[in-house]
Amino acid sequence: MATAMTCSRLTIFTVAGIFLQIIGLSIFVFGFFPVKPTLSGVSGSESYRDPFCDSSPNSNESELHSDKLRLHYQELSGISVKYDRVILMVIDGLPAEFVLGKDGQPPRKVWKESMPYTQSLLANRDAIGYHAKAAPPTVTMPRLKAMVSGAIGGFLDVAFNFNTQAFLEDNLLGQFFRIGWKMVMLGDETWLKLFPGLFMRHDGVSSFFVKDTVQVDRNVSRHLPDELNSDDWNFLILHYLGLDHVGHTGGRNSPLMAAKLKEMDDIVRTMHLRAMMDRNHDQGQTLLVVVSDHGMTDNGNHGGSSYEETDSLMLFIGLSNNGSDYGAAINNVAFQVDLAPTLALLFGVPIPKNNVGVVVPGTLNSLRDYEQLRALELNSWQLLRLMQAQIPSSLFEGFSCNCFVDGICKGLDISECSGEKEKQLICLFRNAALLHHIWKSKKLTESSRAMEDFSRALDAYNAFLKTASEWLASKTTEKPVFLLGLGLSAMLLSCIVCATLFLSLFKEVYHEPKDRVCSLSYRLNLEEVLIFALLLILVISMGSSSMVEEEHYIWHFMVSTFHLLLLFKTAKLFDLSKGRNILGDYKVVSIFLLLISGRLLRGWHQGGVNWTYLPDISKWLEQVGSGYVKWIQLISNIIVIGLGLFTLSRTGSKKKSVCVLALGFLTCGLLVLLHAGRYQDEMLEVSTEFGATVIVKVIYLLLFISAIGAALVLPWSMLNKDKSFLAEAGDYLYLIGSAYILCWCLLHLLLQQPINSGPIILLLIQILAISCLSSNDVQVNEWVEIAALYYMGMAGHFALGNSNTLATIDVAGAFIGISSHSTILSGILMFMITYASPMLFLLSLVMYVGAKLRNQSQYSTISTHRETSLGQILKLKLGFPCLVPLCINSVLLTAYTVVLLLMRNHLFVWSVFSPKYLYVCATTLCTYIGVCIVAVTVTYTFFVTTFRRSNRTTRHDNS
Amino acid sequence: MKEGKKKKPETSIGESISALGAVFVYLITGLFLAVGFWVVRDKYSVDLISDPSLTLRLLWMIEFPIVVIIFSLFRSNPKKCSYFRAVGRSIVGLISGAIINALGAVSLGAPIGLQSLPKTIHWSFLISVFTVVPATAVFGASWTNWHRVFASLKPTGNIEYMILTPAYGAIIGGWFGAWPMPLDWERPWQEWPICVCYGAIGGYVVGQIVSLSLMIFLRKHKNLKLA
Repeated sequence: MATAMTCSRLTIFTVAGIFLQIIGLSIFVFGFFPVKPTLSGVSGSESYRDPFCDSSPNSNESELHSDKLRLHYQELSGISVKYDRVILMVIDGLPAEFVLGKDGQPPRKVWKESMPYTQSLLANRDAIGYHAKAAPPTVTMPRLKAMVSGAIGGFLDVAFNFNTQAFLEDNLLGQFFRIGWKMVMLGDETWLKLFPGLFMRHDGVSSFFVKDTVQVDRNVSRHLPDELNSDDWNFLILHYLGLDHVGHTGGRNSPLMAAKLKEMDDIVRTMHLRAMMDRNHDQGQTLLVVVSDHGMTDNGNHGGSSYEETDSLMLFIGLSNNGSDYGAAINNVAFQVDLAPTLALLFGVPIPKNNVGVVVPGTLNSLRDYEQLRALELNSWQLLRLMQAQIPSSLFEGFSCNCFVDGICKGLDISECSGEKEKQLICLFRNAALLHHIWKSKKLTESSRAMEDFSRALDAYNAFLKTASEWLASKTTEKPVFLLGLGLSAMLLSCIVCATLFLSLFKEVYHEPKDRVCSLSYRLNLEEVLIFALLLILVISMGSSSMVEEEHYIWHFMVSTFHLLLLFKTAKLFDLSKGRNILGDYKVVSIFLLLISGRLLRGWHQGGVNWTYLPDISKWLEQVGSGYVKWIQLISNIIVIGLGLFTLSRTGSKKKSVCVLALGFLTCGLLVLLHAGRYQDEMLEVSTEFGATVIVKVIYLLLFISAIGAALVLPWSMLNKDKSFLAEAGDYLYLIGSAYILCWCLLHLLLQQPINSGPIILLLIQILAISCLSSNDVQVNEWVEIAALYYMGMAGHFALGNSNTLATIDVAGAFIGISSHSTILSGILMFMITYASPMLFLLSLVMYVGAKLRNQSQYSTISTHRETSLGQILKLKLGFPCLVPLCINSVLLTAYTVVLLLMRNHLFVWSVFSPKYLYVCATTLCTYIGVCIVAVTVTYTFFVTTFRRSNRTTRHDNS
Repeated sequence: MKEGKKKKPETSIGESISALGAVFVYLITGLFLAVGFWVVRDKYSVDLISDPSLTLRLLWMIEFPIVVIIFSLFRSNPKKCSYFRAVGRSIVGLISGAIINALGAVSLGAPIGLQSLPKTIHWSFLISVFTVVPATAVFGASWTNWHRVFASLKPTGNIEYMILTPAYGAIIGGWFGAWPMPLDWERPWQEWPICVCYGAIGGYVVGQIVSLSLMIFLRKHKNLKLA
């Protein structure tokens, strides 16, 4: 090499590469995930006119008084409004299966018996229920937006789920507000954040205390008698969170579920009897709509796109619905977005502008024939307006204002529709409009064939609406190509930068005398081949949706293979004739520890999607009884404390600072134990007591102080005159690194679910075994070991129960120890819980560097390093621990970006590939943070040690 | 590795075998494997998919005697070690090899449970027949030979090639055979240990072919060198 990289140049290039990557990633993310709606503005009276007519908004319309506006709308729409008020009851997280059953079968007995009144309503045809399919991501805020606006939001709404802000798109609530409706909201305060100032009265409850399943609903129901007595509102929204909380804490089959369903049923009964039956007819009618925003998996989580999660409920009570039997009342399928046009048409307001939903057919049965067709026509016009924004106007050539009424449209015959999707849609619309016109014109003259014409028009409208709705929903995934290309090329460039840096460092470290790496004669070791093979296999497997779902198999399999290769390598070096040496035994023991703990980790959670039902250790433990989980938690806590004290004592220094560190650590451990023993078993009750929160806060503080304090103070505290510079720095780094990982482990014993304390301890054992191996000189290259640590971290990520769906994120843990709602804090906690294992292994790199330094200074000659500058040492010691994780991550990130681009039209792009991409982004963030911590700690320690040494020598010289 | 190099192979090589003989041996082992599959299908009317544990049991029980009979002929140090001793030690090798294989499979993620236990046991016996049994029959408990052939990958003589390559072929084939398991194709053969077994048998056959070509190639190479 002509120019050996200096340390500062290496740093600058690395940081530049990282920044390039961040910029590219953000450009790509904002290009790929749609965030903007298609049409701006609010629907007004123009929505009652033909979309081909000049639709300049009526200027004086906005000045109309709300009552006049309401009459104006009613006059234009031509649909009689039978109801004067509506109650929207949102039951958060209720799967439609609980009420309507599945696959045509009635619901399970326990659920059916918990909701006797609702079931009787369904049986008496007083109610009609729908399986309303929700679009992923199945989390509350995007679902509420979809319900009131009829638009399918962007995927990134998930990211903003904890940061709700006012909803500015055209929506039902805004339309109702405009016609002067009085609205009352009781329940989840998300509504208040989405629609500030729209409600006459409101009482928001926080979705923040996930373990509170009782009080959160009582706070809603306590207002109910008053509200039902008063007659001043038109729109009452009730949002009950309790059922979702029950699911989060205990899953679908939680013992609290039946009671919660009963409570909901009672509320439905109260409302039905009081608000609907008791009212006189001259007071108008009330419509009760019971909906859920999303379903839940068997574990009570949600966010993904499985049937269990997207199966939400839409139940209309009070429609005069005749002719359908119980089977017909429970077997209907709709989409969640259909709620918006349905309510808009039933209550005589314009359909929100970006709605892609279709009016629910069963709700129109009480209307007269011409009203039904008019409703469908209005819905079609609205969808057509949305389509006009996306289809070139040349395709609409045959149409002009009111041409169906005047009979001057081109191609006035009913035709089979085929060909391109856009043309097919227009053709379907033309058919429907024509049939509607034919029916209208014939209705006046002959009545015999009216029924037939009516049903033909109805079918034609439904065909158009269905196709158009699907087409529009799929259109929300349009991508700006330029942005995507720019982002991708930036990421590619940064990937190349990282790889080049790595290669140059590689050449310098391993082949200083000869420049062999470019020649083909250089042969890779088996482990090196495996590291590359894993990378390659991961990149290839990312292209298949099932392998993305089952990614953990690859990690576990490859990591175990790596351990077996280590065993093979040790056996290769093991010589029986030399007798059993202690060194070899240590190695074999630690490799077996790695293998056993790896297998246990693999078996702990049966992750993924397709084989989650298979038995695993966590299920088995929960079946046997929660007592065992408790024991495991206790034991692992004690083991962590024991291992921590052992590791600290192994450094051999009995200095005060180490003792202080040990003491702080011990205190934390005992506090975690106390918290676990006292508060965590009260899973089903409100455990947001003051005491628990204070203890948790104290633990956070102590852990933070011990970790940061260790890093800051330790290099200053002790000075060993006998040791060389490297050995001393190694000692510090080893101590700091162990303080890091021990604090991290304790933190996670507190934060993670109790069942995960087993994997945490196994991961810690793996780290200690690897560090034992590397200090015993296993003859594996440094970068291979670091890559293996990274891989083990990823395998551990899946062993902690994570997967590539958003449903496995542990939401409940993110609120431990926080006393008020804070998006940032709970977000950080959630990130830490999800990325516990990769972070643990990245932090262990500090300890690894320390162990390597100590080890080297024992074996190698010290004098060679005396002349080399600090920068050179830093580069050699810190280069690989920083570059290897960055390189691996940037390769994976770039490869996955390409995969996502290729798969943008795949059926599973929103359910499988996009969540995985979010995970990849979060892993990138995790890698940055971890590498940053490692780099800062090691650099700081080196600088402090050098400073003190030079100080001492000058003092020595002076004296 | 350095220590291994210093030691000279202290074996007096037993019966040597020509490439043609190796072809013959492979044909016989292959034939018996085929016989095993035939017996399973025609006599018991099951196959690997419908009853893996019975199939695997029959396969290894048919394959094991023939492997032992053939490879015991080529035992190293035939003067000190009688034919029957070689047979006896290969039975020990079968069992210990099965244990090692089972442990390896479990550590790579084979299911542990009462249902899959017999499958794992019989699978590991079959793999043991492919990998460990020929080596025990030939080498016995000689650590240096094992180390030289399996760890340092320095076989000398045709018979050691015949031990080494099919054994590694079976292991690597089995390793690759596990890859389709997590895919959601919903085929019955994706179950443990069916596709791993197919992979191992395939790898075993490939290893045999590779070893044959190595023998021929090396002999030519040697002749060239001599000339």
